[in-house]
Amino acid sequence: MESLAAIADPTRRRIVELLAERDRTAGELVREFDVTASAISQHLKVLREAGLISTRAEGQTRIQALNPAGFDELDAWLHRTREFWSRRLDALERELRAEDERVAKSAKRKS
Amino acid sequence: MSQPVHAVVMHRFDVPAERVFDACLDPAWVGRWMFGPNVRDERIVRLALEARVGGRFSFVVNRAGTEVDHVGEYLEIERPGLLVFTWATRDALPETSRVIIEITPREQGCDMKLTHVLGAHWSEFVDRAASSWSQMLDALERAIAQEATAQRG
Repeated sequence: MESLAAIADPTRRRIVELLAERDRTAGELVREFDVTASAISQHLKVLREAGLISTRAEGQTRIQALNPAGFDELDAWLHRTREFWSRRLDALERELRAEDERVAKSAKRKS
Repeated sequence: MSQPVHAVVMHRFDVPAERVFDACLDPAWVGRWMFGPNVRDERIVRLALEARVGGRFSFVVNRAGTEVDHVGEYLEIERPGLLVFTWATRDALPETSRVIIEITPREQGCDMKLTHVLGAHWSEFVDRAASSWSQMLDALERAIAQEATAQRG
């Protein structure tokens, strides 16, 4: 789950948020943070290797953009986790109903 | 995106909030809906919990000969509206994720919103121990993938 590890870092999460708004150059990103250009460059490298962003050249400028396919892994995690809990909450509902029925039956027997 | 990743599940129950809440903190009930043959092909080995803030739980099940211990710590307990706990398998580092259960009473029954937040403590782990970090993620990934497989099968 490289993509999850990549956005574990708050600076990288912020970069993803900024790129979600619009594509930006590395220079524009650097101005948003109180860190060095080389630090931002390292963060971009991690995000790129995780497949979360892509870089394209426009003339002399390199533009950073989100890579939607890179977020599929996150989607998959979300899907699995929702399924995990949905299944259990369904079971909880069944068990609560079953108990109500048992209580109702035993009350009937007593009366 | 204040949290890295969170999965949200909503569920409506036709029983009072208190009963749903109590079912989350009673080992006998945990064995009826969270773990065990009612939920998937597994045998319950031991379900233990200490229902107080700072208390821990350990839910051990046996899946095809392999014991899996789900562990965590209760962070907030406010009956019947709020339950927050950390969630991990023992093989992984603790506090890999966090589960927030919010229960809102209705006239008849209640609504539950369950939020599973992955990586509440990630940033610390990543900088400190990149390798154990990735092991932790692998373990979590495997655990969840096993769940998904079992559910499909």
